[in-house]
Amino acid sequence: MNSENSTGVWVVGEQRGDQLKSVTFELITAGRKVADALKQELTVVLIGHDLEHLTGALEEYSPDKIVLVEGEETKAFIPEIYADVLGSLVLDKRPAVILFGATYSGRDIASRLAAKLGLGLAADCTDLLVDDKGRFVQVRPAFGGNLMATIYQPSARPQLATLRPGMIKGAKSLAKKTPMIERIKPKPQTRTWSKAVLKTVREVAEESGNLDEADIVIGVGRGLGSKENLRLVNQLASLLHAAIGGSRGVVDAGWLPHNQQIGLTGRAISPKIYFALGISGAIQHLVGVRTAKQIIAINKDPEAPIFKVATFGIVGDLFTALPPLIKELEARNSAASADTRS
Amino acid sequence: MRIVVCVKQVPDVAELRIDEVTHSLVRAGVPSILNPFDEFAVEEALKIREKNGGTVTVITMGPPQAKEALVRCLAMGADRAILLTDSAFAAADTYASAKTLALALRKLEFDFVICGMKAIDGETCQVGPELAELLGIPHISYIKRVEIDSAANTALAERLTEEGYEQVRSTLPCLLTATKALNVPRIPTLIQQLAAKQKPIETWSAASIGAERKDVGLTGSRTQVLKVYTPELKSQGITVTTDDMSKVVAQVMKLLEKEGTV
Repeated sequence: MNSENSTGVWVVGEQRGDQLKSVTFELITAGRKVADALKQELTVVLIGHDLEHLTGALEEYSPDKIVLVEGEETKAFIPEIYADVLGSLVLDKRPAVILFGATYSGRDIASRLAAKLGLGLAADCTDLLVDDKGRFVQVRPAFGGNLMATIYQPSARPQLATLRPGMIKGAKSLAKKTPMIERIKPKPQTRTWSKAVLKTVREVAEESGNLDEADIVIGVGRGLGSKENLRLVNQLASLLHAAIGGSRGVVDAGWLPHNQQIGLTGRAISPKIYFALGISGAIQHLVGVRTAKQIIAINKDPEAPIFKVATFGIVGDLFTALPPLIKELEARNSAASADTRS
Repeated sequence: MRIVVCVKQVPDVAELRIDEVTHSLVRAGVPSILNPFDEFAVEEALKIREKNGGTVTVITMGPPQAKEALVRCLAMGADRAILLTDSAFAAADTYASAKTLALALRKLEFDFVICGMKAIDGETCQVGPELAELLGIPHISYIKRVEIDSAANTALAERLTEEGYEQVRSTLPCLLTATKALNVPRIPTLIQQLAAKQKPIETWSAASIGAERKDVGLTGSRTQVLKVYTPELKSQGITVTTDDMSKVVAQVMKLLEKEGTV
């Protein structure tokens, strides 16, 4: 497809259970900026089943349009089917830009769609903008964040990009307007896929939070001493509404599941504040937190490389530093709840 | 089981340094390695071959020196190695890379394909699923466990999600992408490494896979890099000791308030 006649910015939202994931709102905010700069409409596309109740939350962010694609075949997340259904919609409506979350499922649909229609796809973008020539460009890290690249897609339309969660804060719109809602059934597909999701298992403890969504992430390293000491970390996390992740050493030791590993062979995260507890800060770990805004590090070793990147470094024992911090947060919390009572 | 593993040679990202004066990435002297995620893919292929019988073919696209990555795979135990190399393949984005691999894989017979979930240099996680789409086969990405049932002709895999995993079943042929949770790759002995150097590596060009210039490399790419730069280094903040905890607590609270998180 070429650039003629292609118009509109789409974001493909993501829902988990009966709730929209926060990356959906981040995508709308990023998409709004791009759509306004291109003077085009912003459309949110949701694919799934029984989506009607999600439109209220979307309206707060004022997209121009909401498209709900609901059918039996899109009940379970099968990326092949989602890409086929989305592909038909794209050929029908010809948008100029489509944004996805750089999540396990967002990347799957975007990749299959790109290959199916012969499109460009910029991965894991940290910023999306329209340059002074009026071109939609994508900014993304490579080499573990050691390099940044600005990407442009000269001819194929729509241009596709996945946005790394946590990079752009989802902002509710002040000027509310009611978006137009379009409900459509997935177009019948010629291809069928013998693939099925047999079960879904939650492994990351509820109190460990979501690494992509939390404003604060607490990363633990082998310096924590033992798995039992996670109790102290959980206490801090619940006071801060923080998510918990860990270094490779901690995951290899079985203190945390693999999904919670931060770094080169794990995940890259972008919280506002990253607490590095007992983490020395090997480059393999640091590439996973390079887009964190602030880093607070606690480590016994004053020479630990983590202090080179920390906004605030605390040299000393974790078990000396954490209890007073927890006490202070508890005091503030109870003061705050007393305020609301009075 | 005829298994194909797609691998990539990458710079050892952990060895990259930033020049403190020019703030540019220093790549000179940085060793090239087999992409760590591809090691998990090769290991899993070998384990499946050990259990079900069959062959493991490794394939890579890259410059002539990328054959070193294939030698590593042969040392681990792969049966056959193919190097896709041609100046026409250079500077490919994920679409052009997947297209090249798809053309090559159409010349091979396979029951399933395994790729690493991503390469540590480009970090896109896209080539595996794009390749599956171009081959017209299903894929299961980010797997942490897999069982191949050769009688039923299916793969049963556990696929990572943000909260845990989902169990997915697919018919073969399909494509799988490997995570670190899958296995611990074997380390070839010195003898195996030396023996691997003597093993043949097939070299395929654009002509051997019937690739036209418009489909591959830079001309087949849909994305263009406008600019590459080194991100600003985070300046080192302040460091204190736990001797005065009231000061530490106050400072942490200040930061939390500044970011609007308390």
